[in-house]
Amino acid sequence: MSTPIDPTPAAGAAAEPVTPEVLDEDRRGIVGRAAARVDELVRPIARPLALAGAGLLALGSLAPWAQFRVVDPVSGEAYPGKQSLGTIPNGLSPLESGHRLYTLVLAVGVLALLLRGGKGRFGAVRAAATGAFVITWFNLFWPGYQDIPGGLAGQGGGLGAIAWGGWLAAVGSLVLLVAVRTLPPVRPAIRPRVLPFWADALLLVGSFALLLGGVVISLAIEEALLFLSFFGFVMSAAAVASRLGAGHVINAAADRRKWFALAGLALTAIVFPFTQGGESYWIRVMASVLVFAAVVLGLNIVIGLAGLLDLGYVAFFGIGAYVGALFSGAAASAIGITLPFPVVLVMGAVIAGTFGVLLGAPTLRLRGDYLAIVTLGFGEIFTKVVNNWDGLTNGPNGIPGIPQLNLLGQNFGDGFTIFGQQLPSFATYYFLELVVLAVFMVIFANLNHSRIGRAWVAIREDEVVAQAMGINTTRFKLMAFAIGATLAGAAGVVNAHLSTQVSPDSYVFNISILLVAAVVLGGMGTIAGSVLGSALLIVLPEKLRFFSDYRILIFGLALVLFMRFRPEGMIPSRRRRQEFHESEEPEENVVVHAGGV
Amino acid sequence: MTTLLQQLANGLVLGALYGLVALGYTMVYGILQLINFAHGEVVMVGAFGALTAWYFMPAGLLGSWPVALAIGILVAMVTSVVVALTVERLAYRPLRHAPRLAPLISAIGMSFVLQEIVRIFYPINSDGELEPGVGAKSARAFRLDSFPEGQVTVGSVSVSYLGVIIVVVSVALMAGLQTFVLRSRTGRAMRATAQDPDTTRLMGIDTDRVVVITFALGAALAGVAGVFYGLYSGGVATDMGFLLGLKAFTAAVLGGIGNLSGAVLGGFVLGIVEALATQFIPGGSAYKDAFAFAVLILVLLFRPTGLLGEKVSTRA
Repeated sequence: MSTPIDPTPAAGAAAEPVTPEVLDEDRRGIVGRAAARVDELVRPIARPLALAGAGLLALGSLAPWAQFRVVDPVSGEAYPGKQSLGTIPNGLSPLESGHRLYTLVLAVGVLALLLRGGKGRFGAVRAAATGAFVITWFNLFWPGYQDIPGGLAGQGGGLGAIAWGGWLAAVGSLVLLVAVRTLPPVRPAIRPRVLPFWADALLLVGSFALLLGGVVISLAIEEALLFLSFFGFVMSAAAVASRLGAGHVINAAADRRKWFALAGLALTAIVFPFTQGGESYWIRVMASVLVFAAVVLGLNIVIGLAGLLDLGYVAFFGIGAYVGALFSGAAASAIGITLPFPVVLVMGAVIAGTFGVLLGAPTLRLRGDYLAIVTLGFGEIFTKVVNNWDGLTNGPNGIPGIPQLNLLGQNFGDGFTIFGQQLPSFATYYFLELVVLAVFMVIFANLNHSRIGRAWVAIREDEVVAQAMGINTTRFKLMAFAIGATLAGAAGVVNAHLSTQVSPDSYVFNISILLVAAVVLGGMGTIAGSVLGSALLIVLPEKLRFFSDYRILIFGLALVLFMRFRPEGMIPSRRRRQEFHESEEPEENVVVHAGGV
Repeated sequence: MTTLLQQLANGLVLGALYGLVALGYTMVYGILQLINFAHGEVVMVGAFGALTAWYFMPAGLLGSWPVALAIGILVAMVTSVVVALTVERLAYRPLRHAPRLAPLISAIGMSFVLQEIVRIFYPINSDGELEPGVGAKSARAFRLDSFPEGQVTVGSVSVSYLGVIIVVVSVALMAGLQTFVLRSRTGRAMRATAQDPDTTRLMGIDTDRVVVITFALGAALAGVAGVFYGLYSGGVATDMGFLLGLKAFTAAVLGGIGNLSGAVLGGFVLGIVEALATQFIPGGSAYKDAFAFAVLILVLLFRPTGLLGEKVSTRA
């Protein structure tokens, strides 16, 4: 029997603990080593340090942040007025209380989670701490740039404008963040129990109400910085909830009460126009979001389910739109025939689908990168053809003056009154698109859970093995491509009526990339991801008008950063997330508590 | 007949430019299987670098066109290389082991970022004055006033002096690159990495460094292409890289992706096809950009590995 190899170091050699961090590739540079050193110092006192930081932050949020009032020359409002909390008698509503309320809530949340004991909630604590830090420091120190308004220091004329409460909060949030970084991102294991119907119903109704409330409030906030703070707060709260397992619980409830959940979701969407008090602006924006979301869902079938990268998807959307425009009876249309809307809808879908098949048949046999370039090329060809074929498409002028839809006796351009409530002009389009989106969602879900969907998963993960299993990969890929094109065409027809004009500028390469970004950033393979991605990519530029010149820059940065840190998107399907993190070690971050949650 | 020959000559000049840029695409794809979408913007940045250099150059130097051109090209090369290496470090290297989609999207994002950074922050306005914050929102004139106008005429074909210089310099650079890759040790390391990165690493070669060198070489050529393209079209704009890059990638695929000679051949073929189609197909000039994609689709239909065959390693 051979002597076992003795792993203990030779006598006299210093026993140096080889911590994983030292070998971590990312931490070999100067910054990495400094960060590792700080982490070593902080780790033993992490929990008390975090508690101290959160406490300071909470105290700071309650104390005044601004030394003096700054009057906004445009609106005449006193800026630090928005720095106050709702409880401080100032006549301001909680909506205007702004970020101090949010940092207070986050700090108290951190305290509560840490004091509860156990390691299970560190993941949520990290989310809350990051959110609190960002909101605090942004609102204090952002200097402003050109027409983007600054935070407190920016608008108040420098650091002297910050009162002791602000400094307390700044220090507290920094300490909290540093401390929390060394905590492992653990989340509790949730074993959802089967709840009675009333509990499920309450849970679902509550979530929908929160969702609707969040959306309505976000849209109602007018000042850009305040909106950003609220948005950051909502994102942090959502992250905290999801890391505490709320997502699993709600999903389980929704799975158990499918019809109730679907009805609730539909009701929430239907109620939205009624919350706008007769103003049509946001309804119009939401109508565009819904059309965009429908197109994104179609693209999600191509990219998210089948794994084919299509960079010219806007061409199918545009084909549908032009078909819709040409047969709508617009004066500028080269085809004098006017057909009823349902017929045109089907025509647009079929024609776009045909182009999808024509484009896909020769190119889907090739490797994925080539498909990307070919689709990109097709998108460019589409733009050039539409721009130059004056006879059919009216060239660069496009086809303006598309008449409003007139279905079921209702002219879609006017508002209408229902249940005594007056709904403004775009509400009908909103509802129509809700129906269209619902149909698309049904198609998506059915495809996902069918043999076709499973074939796509197989093709996506390893095409060679899929072929060996007997899957005709070309046929299934073509199917995905054709279905995607058809859906985009149908959405295009609707869009033609919504925007009352089609022109080549609305169907350019940038829109293709926006669509891809919505799929990828929102989350591949999930319906919620597509809707969230579309909503963010359309509403945020509307809300943050100040940034309009930098929109594309921020967009590009977002793409790069997301791919670096969260390539699966915001709401990914579980399988997709695993595909993206295949080469990493499995997460050791689920703590199973004995005896339930 | 004369128009045919003339268009062939024009196509050669255009083809030389496509070839220079295509080499960058093909080298990066051969090693990383990544379509470097930001490469077109690297060309654009090089052109703007030269523009800046000429802005700061004293009039005496500008008066001597060989000197000015040489310095402009040098500065363009340096700018392009710096930008390309930064992009590689920040956007591509962290994603080395991610599924294909992630670096591709990242590349598209970087392409936008580069375009916008120049568009928003370039500090020299269209009057040629330093004005921080003005950005390059509109196209800029790109000319060397001391450059000789005039043409070289052989028989019935005439090409401008600029065209001749473009073709000569480009061919020289491309030949130089070929020699480097075929004969030098680093070139051998590059070919080895393109063939099988894992085994190459086992042989003791630092593949990260090889990737950096590849990007640098491609970017240097791109910078030169940027200067020439700017001079050829008389102006530079922040979106000049997009279409040029797309066509150059088409040229690379046409010749056989990963294959250096293929990229050169593909560039010339594409340039000539485009010139001929513009002239001889009625209404062609409006659709000239679409021809490149039509060519691409045809090539992929009938000879997907390209004219000279592709040289790509299988990415596990």
